[in-house]
Amino acid sequence: MDRGTPGLTTVLEQHKPVGGEPPNILRTLLAVQQAFGSVSSEAVRDIAQVLEVTEADVAGVLSYYPDLRREAPSRHVIRICMGESCIANHCDRLLRGLRERLRIEVGETTPGRRYRLEQVFCMGNCAVGPTLAIDEDLYGRVAVSRLDHLLDRYR
Amino acid sequence: MTPPSKAGERWDRSGVALSSGSPVRLYLPNDTSSRAAGAAQLAEAWADHPDVQLIRTSSRGAFSLEPMVERDTSDGRMAWFGVAQDDLPRIKSGIGGMPVDAIPFLSRQTRCTFANFGVTQPLALDEYQSHGGLKGLEAALAMAPAAIIEEIKVSRLRGRGGAAFPSWNKWHIARETEADHKYIVVNADEGDAGTYCDRMIMEGDPFRLLEGILICARAIGADRTFIYCRHEYPAAAWSIRTAIEKADEAGLLDLDGEQFPIEVVSGAGAYVCGEETALLESIEGRRGDVRAKPPYPAVSGLYGRPTVVSNVLTFAIVPAILSRGGAWHASMGTEYSRGTVVLQLGGRVKQPGIVEVPFGLTLRDVLERFGGGMAPGSRLKAVQVGGPLGSLFPESKLDIPICYEAFSQAGAILGHGGIVVYDHEMDMLDLAHHFMTFAATESCGKCTPCRVGSLRSRELLERIQIGQGTPADVELLFDLGETMKTASLCAFGGRAPYPVLTAIEHFPAEFQRLRNEEI
Repeated sequence: MDRGTPGLTTVLEQHKPVGGEPPNILRTLLAVQQAFGSVSSEAVRDIAQVLEVTEADVAGVLSYYPDLRREAPSRHVIRICMGESCIANHCDRLLRGLRERLRIEVGETTPGRRYRLEQVFCMGNCAVGPTLAIDEDLYGRVAVSRLDHLLDRYR
Repeated sequence: MTPPSKAGERWDRSGVALSSGSPVRLYLPNDTSSRAAGAAQLAEAWADHPDVQLIRTSSRGAFSLEPMVERDTSDGRMAWFGVAQDDLPRIKSGIGGMPVDAIPFLSRQTRCTFANFGVTQPLALDEYQSHGGLKGLEAALAMAPAAIIEEIKVSRLRGRGGAAFPSWNKWHIARETEADHKYIVVNADEGDAGTYCDRMIMEGDPFRLLEGILICARAIGADRTFIYCRHEYPAAAWSIRTAIEKADEAGLLDLDGEQFPIEVVSGAGAYVCGEETALLESIEGRRGDVRAKPPYPAVSGLYGRPTVVSNVLTFAIVPAILSRGGAWHASMGTEYSRGTVVLQLGGRVKQPGIVEVPFGLTLRDVLERFGGGMAPGSRLKAVQVGGPLGSLFPESKLDIPICYEAFSQAGAILGHGGIVVYDHEMDMLDLAHHFMTFAATESCGKCTPCRVGSLRSRELLERIQIGQGTPADVELLFDLGETMKTASLCAFGGRAPYPVLTAIEHFPAEFQRLRNEEI
């Protein structure tokens, strides 16, 4: 995502404020991340320039939202739900199972960037928890015994 | 970041899959939780089956029975529970089903806002209409704006997102405040853990939400709506976007000859953005830091203009108030809590799911009559009502009526109607630590009581966890809690201490245990 790559310029062009409209930093960051997988330092600089805000404004929004990333994404993202309903259904056992299998902690990525482990405070799937999401796929009533089989499907 | 379109594709958008011969017509829910419980695999297995015509509906919300498959009979719908792929012959020959009307979990409820759930196809506007949809909007279009607000006043509807502010008053203030633009913001950032009714409405009955928005728009003179949908709900965002397109095609987004844009805006994983002023900051593209109130959003909200901010459920209740009358709505419930409450049961209860009943039943009633008691092998230890900021109730305190006045008197909140049941294996000290970890992680940091209070409370709980707590630490927890309650800028910091303090209040031994071992 070098400065001046046509891709980034095109994305930013669509978010340039027109006709006195206020700039929307979050929306621009989401669009950049959707296009490139993450938001680089270069992109922060370019976004600031196009939206006519400071780099600190952009960096402040970037660091605030948990779903915005600075580093390149891993191949698969595993999100474990730590909402109260899943906690009540003992998702801590599931978390332990994942940490043992992946040998990483929450917020870390496995060597080789195959899996990243994240926790989420509720995915609205409370009635069929414990809940695990791998990439876009949501799984309910996940028992530890299912973990190996599930992980096998995402190599 | 999930591209919404991709998530939408994964969500099965085929309403009907027709096949040759004389296939049996089966109703299968397409709700996210139904899919996670197995409906997705069934849909895949039966998609091209020559004997099956699949109709993808919303879910009835009886999740202990999911995946649930239904078919028509001369006596109404018949249902099969916990269905596996090879149950098809059984279902085809009509063996082992149960009439839907005979399912106690459902038949004991008063379904109003959730009446269509499990019945209709979410994105079929004609089905919405044939089940009474758009009648409220029709009525509203024939009324003067002030008369619409009067009807909402008569209904005594209070906002269902947590603060329970009288809806008519918000509408009235927004209407009376002079401005060049007025906005509606739908809070679809359903972040309270243990709640999922807004997600279900957006996925399962999106036209009801749109109808409520349009009625409000007409009443206050709004010219634009933003639906702020949390990032964790890709299927809901896709469904509501599609419903907006369909409503537009049908000419519904034309108010008094003006195009009325409704836009879905994506959140990015911050819990505090469910707080209305943080949410407004986020829509404007900034950090979700809360604003000091007043001014309230109804006076100065999005881009400084009068804005009605309410959650999904509140807007979804509005159409029936207009079509059936405010008096109808006010006839249900208790003195200060009119209408129905949509409870979402979760945790170690035997029958988790959606329970819509008039306000006033006790918590114990709900857990026994609808929850069906505890999951096998579990004994009840505590019940949390109102999400991660909600108080804990021990077994001895379950006779509290579910209504705003009783909860407020008890220093508790109904919040968004989430009920989470914890069993005997739950360690209250660990749970309290979880609550404060959540608070410290999600605090926006703008005010000191919340930012520092949550972090220090978490550290104190950690010290108790490793057996190095002192009696002064528990006292300090109470002291910090009091400061957070009284001095925080918004309800997040103001409520965050409650689950921890009620855990200490009702289960004091668990917070002394390690310390005593030390002594």
